[in-house]
Amino acid sequence: MENMANSVARIPNLVDWSTGEVRLMSAKCNSCGTYFFPKEHYQHRPGCSREGVEDVLLPSRGKLASYTVQHYPCPPPFKTEQKITPYGIGLVEFEAEKIQVAGIITDTDLKSLELGMEMETTTLTMYVNEEKQQVVTWAFRAVK
Amino acid sequence: MRDVYIIGTGIHPWTGFSEQVFADFAATAVDGALKDAAIEWTRIQSIMAGIFIYGGNAGHLSGQYLESIFGETGVPVVNVYNACATGSAAIRMAYNSVAAGETDTALAFGADVSPKGFLTAKSDNAVQDRDVIRWKMGGMPNPIYWALECTKRMAKYGTTEEDLALVKVLMSEYGSKNPDARFKKAYSLEEVLKSVYVCEPLRLYEICPVSTGAAALIITADPELIAKADKPVKINATTMGSAIYGDPTIRISALSCPAVAEAPMLSESYSASRQAYEKAGIGPEDIDLLELPDNSSWHYLVYLETCGFCGEGEADKMLRDGQTRIGGTLPVNPSGGFSSHGEALSAQAIWQVIECANQLRGRCGERQVEGAKVAMAQTYGLMGNSGTTILSI
Repeated sequence: MENMANSVARIPNLVDWSTGEVRLMSAKCNSCGTYFFPKEHYQHRPGCSREGVEDVLLPSRGKLASYTVQHYPCPPPFKTEQKITPYGIGLVEFEAEKIQVAGIITDTDLKSLELGMEMETTTLTMYVNEEKQQVVTWAFRAVK
Repeated sequence: MRDVYIIGTGIHPWTGFSEQVFADFAATAVDGALKDAAIEWTRIQSIMAGIFIYGGNAGHLSGQYLESIFGETGVPVVNVYNACATGSAAIRMAYNSVAAGETDTALAFGADVSPKGFLTAKSDNAVQDRDVIRWKMGGMPNPIYWALECTKRMAKYGTTEEDLALVKVLMSEYGSKNPDARFKKAYSLEEVLKSVYVCEPLRLYEICPVSTGAAALIITADPELIAKADKPVKINATTMGSAIYGDPTIRISALSCPAVAEAPMLSESYSASRQAYEKAGIGPEDIDLLELPDNSSWHYLVYLETCGFCGEGEADKMLRDGQTRIGGTLPVNPSGGFSSHGEALSAQAIWQVIECANQLRGRCGERQVEGAKVAMAQTYGLMGNSGTTILSI
């Protein structure tokens, strides 16, 4: 993992790097077993008691379940000082948690993307804020 | 419940961006519907209005603003929003009011002046509005969601880029014959395949833009009005569906989806269509023509499966074999579809029903489906919104 000491997520409570690995901040319902991302995106099974929802971190690695290559810059409120376009967006599957999460793919060799390949969660620095902090989002990259 | 008939339809032709006030577009459509039904404004006993989300107070209270143009009469006015299925909700409420005998004659309308560019986040609260997260963190405009599903489909069923392009070829051929469509140029397969990628595998011509338009529908159970109407069209069913737990589709504005399917894809539309088949006693095999929401070429294919017109992964063959052409076993989107119109959010569901009604009334000129007796209009709205309307003559 890169030095993240001076990094801040643009929106909090989505991505964590305190464990030394970059991981997505999910929540699990211990009654119906469903994982949510973001944490507030409740998706309970009908009839669930909704009791025992706890914060969990998703594993750092998953498999590429789908992807696309975006060929024009994303309009505001997306903001980046980097030239990322064209950029990949992946849907990464965390098998045990039975959830797929979307995110930007940081790999520049987009031709090498293949369904099923192993991906790891990372961050993408979008811009530097007035406090000189690197403002990041979660992202994925192929495991080399 | 009583039998309910469409007796009047009106459209403001679909167009690009406009400085015109949205209520003026609505008024054009309502004028058309009143003229078609040959009734006075004062015969309308309830108004079900799709709201215009970018219109501020006027947009959120679109029914009241419209009523003030034609003259306030004190009738119930309800304003409703269900994303791109907003018009379906307005039709359903109008239908239920009339079928239940609360009122005899009702108006459903929607008008939308789409803002320039993309439809982006409308709040700045990331906790309660996932749109904020998908825009600020995800870099995910709407077509990304469709592309992610389309990639899965191509790997699973062998859908090709030619299939996706062929959808546009057909839609543009029909759109070129529809005076109310916004885009009237017919494209060749080669031209579509040469258009730039927006998000792979979807190309510029394979994704619908946002548009401006308005549509109005007058429905009644009044025997006098039905008797004097020009070819009244019966509403066999008009339903709304929401999503079902375990639907594997990644829904627009969401950042995640289930990895294991426990429900059909696009379950909101599965639900709406199955409710309609049951209520109408009419199945996919009885439908003579279908208007489906082709927001992208992927939608065109998957909706044939979602609504039960073929099995999973079989829509490509229907398309290639010409079954979905005018003259085929199931003509799809003889209007030219969203591909030729673009999305006018609160108006589009009503416009789809009007196209179906006009087809059944034999009013569609060069794009007429000959001898159609039963038609179905299917909508799709983000975050689990959908409506189905089945009509017959």
